[in-house]
Amino acid sequence: MENSLIPALDPAPLPGPPWLFHVLWVVTFLFHLLFVNTVLGGSLLAAFAGLARTGRREIRTLFVEVNAWAISFAITFAIAPLLFMQVLLGRFFYTATILVAWAWLGMLGLLTVAYYLNYVAKFRLRAGKSAGGVLIVEAACFVVIAGIQVTVNLLHMQPARWERVADQAWAALSDPTFVPRFLHFLLAAVAMAGALLAWVAVRRARKGGATEALSGMARFGIRAALVTTLLQLVDGFWLLLALPEDVLKAFMRGGPATMVPLTVGILAGLLLLVVLAQIADPLASPAKVRRVAELIVGAVVFMVVTRHQLRGIYLASARANEQVTVSTQWGALALFLVVFVVCVALTAYALVKAAKDRPQPGEDAA
Amino acid sequence: MDYPIWNLVFGGGVLIGIVAITHVLVSHFAIGGGFAIAFIETLAVRRRDPALRGLAKRSSLMLILVSTVFGAISGVGIWVTIGLVQPAATSALIHNYVWGWAAEWGFFILEVATALAYYATWDKVRPRTHLLIIWLYVFAAYMSLVVIQGIISFMLTPGRWLETHSFWDGIFNPSYLPGLALRTGICLFLAGAYLTLAALRETDRTARVGMVRLLAVFQIVGVLLAYGGYRWWEHVLPESVKAIFLGSKALLPALASTRYFVLWALTVYLLLSLFALAAPRLHRWPTAVAALLAAFAFFGGYERLREGSRKPFVIRDFMFSNGILVSEIPDLNQRGVLSKAVWAARENPGPEGKGIAVFRAQCASCHTLDGYLSIRKLVAPVDPDMLNGILATMREEGNEYVSGRYTDKGHVATDKLDYPLMPPLVGTDDEVEALASYLLTLRPSNVAEANHGK
Repeated sequence: MENSLIPALDPAPLPGPPWLFHVLWVVTFLFHLLFVNTVLGGSLLAAFAGLARTGRREIRTLFVEVNAWAISFAITFAIAPLLFMQVLLGRFFYTATILVAWAWLGMLGLLTVAYYLNYVAKFRLRAGKSAGGVLIVEAACFVVIAGIQVTVNLLHMQPARWERVADQAWAALSDPTFVPRFLHFLLAAVAMAGALLAWVAVRRARKGGATEALSGMARFGIRAALVTTLLQLVDGFWLLLALPEDVLKAFMRGGPATMVPLTVGILAGLLLLVVLAQIADPLASPAKVRRVAELIVGAVVFMVVTRHQLRGIYLASARANEQVTVSTQWGALALFLVVFVVCVALTAYALVKAAKDRPQPGEDAA
Repeated sequence: MDYPIWNLVFGGGVLIGIVAITHVLVSHFAIGGGFAIAFIETLAVRRRDPALRGLAKRSSLMLILVSTVFGAISGVGIWVTIGLVQPAATSALIHNYVWGWAAEWGFFILEVATALAYYATWDKVRPRTHLLIIWLYVFAAYMSLVVIQGIISFMLTPGRWLETHSFWDGIFNPSYLPGLALRTGICLFLAGAYLTLAALRETDRTARVGMVRLLAVFQIVGVLLAYGGYRWWEHVLPESVKAIFLGSKALLPALASTRYFVLWALTVYLLLSLFALAAPRLHRWPTAVAALLAAFAFFGGYERLREGSRKPFVIRDFMFSNGILVSEIPDLNQRGVLSKAVWAARENPGPEGKGIAVFRAQCASCHTLDGYLSIRKLVAPVDPDMLNGILATMREEGNEYVSGRYTDKGHVATDKLDYPLMPPLVGTDDEVEALASYLLTLRPSNVAEANHGK
């Protein structure tokens, strides 16, 4: 491995214990990923809503409305894991992004286009116009963004590939795990968005909505989740076997710490498949639809842990001689914790008020 | 400098400038606009004024499109660009201020959620709840400025942090409060300028006049606060920073011109705001757009001034714009700069590549070959003796930073140096010679001789 190209460790000490940064990174990344899956999967399902027998317009409307929020939260929740990751692995991350600098910068342009297209689609649908073309372009932007993220992620944890990529930027895509990993990402996103679609349809049906359209939404969501979970099963094993031999061996020898999250994640996927296969009429099986959503989120939780552990194994030799010093900034850490708790509490309070507060008869609305 | 170097024809600093100025224009509006909308809706509820309510409602769509969409993306954009162009500085900032940024992120969550909820609940919730949501938004948005101002101002005036490396000393640095006052003023006047455009769409003439007048007050208060903050900011700067753009013999005339431009833009803006207050009926699209442009000109100019006056540092007295730390000058003089700049050395191997590698490592963060601050143009009129003299002086100046012979209240008095706007040259004798040889090959006469010899 070409360790001489790895930038030196930042001379400043870590402003907190490494374990805390790892925990905060994984937890905040999990929330980020849930929003990202909603956005990516939702935009793909909205783009392919034409495949649904009924409820096409409702499917599109739901996802553009959800994405108006989810994109903002996906971006906002990207900040925290990005911060904590940079504290621990900044030198690997910056190098990887510089090696594919134009693509990394281009991601911003794609994100801006996709976000505004979502609003274009939203207002077109509200005005009773079609938005199929807009949604396809929006989904394409998010798919490319996902590809860039996978590329940088694979590159930052494999310094041995840096020289080749520095000579030829397209070599960034030549990693044998790129395709299965990218597919893993896309399939998980569509499965989650499908489950969300079915769950929303079930809730609306319970409140007495238009049953035919809701049935179309729910069936489309469950079918999308079923197909992608089936494919995920194949892709998951492809990804596992495509890992470099030393990484796979180290992962398998990791004992319960690595094997338990992976096994639970796979079992959650298998169970999900069983539950999905049992749903013939989603509107008639609300409990099962809810179970589908729970299993998908559960699988994502364990896969995020596995992903983090794999990164550690990939980088183990490159970081073997790392002499990290720690000088915890207790006051600043306390400031963060207080601000975070207060802001989350105020956010929850504001959202609950926004959802529940309604004017009494004779009272003005805002 | 131990990172790969991204080749940009127009220079990395220019890219950061474009993204940063775009972002601050949007993010300051997100703060001031939120406050103005909250204020206007509060008035509308108290006075039961449907026209003011309409103005708040019209403006709220712009707020979320600007704040939660473009503001969020361009904010991440700053991270992306500084990580690409100045990775070492980004890493240094992250290691010192990660908890500050994390706290700011907490405010972002509240800000984004309340902005979206506010827009989504028009005509749905009671007015009191709607006002609660927008005032929470104002709180979160302003607090994010309170935090980030500490980190932005730290880069220019790190103050006592240089000795203590304390988080709080860095945040509450000498230009923190002046900058906060200045930016608060900017938030207010940008809000007034943007919302005036929304107010001009009001069809009821009497209502429109009232709105224009109200928003003129926002702008006048904002301009006065910004002016006071600006003067205070200038006052607290170290003498060597002032020397760059203040006085009759400013070290960087272009930056001194920027300062005049900034103050004139603010004057024009104040006059236009006074005009809007005095003659609201006559304040229509042309003058409103002119006022907005004057606001942009002031703010963009100020940001350029703030960034430019940091030369030759990225974090004053700590890290130079090429990523070299002040503290590592002696070591790099002994071991050689290419012992650290492994990527530059790798791209240009062998003795013949050494000069280019040294250039890439130390100069390429500001100078391009033929584009922005073209090194080819700069060396064209220089003869070999002169070039060797310049490089020798620049190398000696490294000792001044280390010995601290020229100091001013804890700062290196860069204005006393022969090359106050450039980082010192570091490296071994071999490396300096190699750099000189390489630079001489860029001179037109040399290129002509080489072509003639073929």
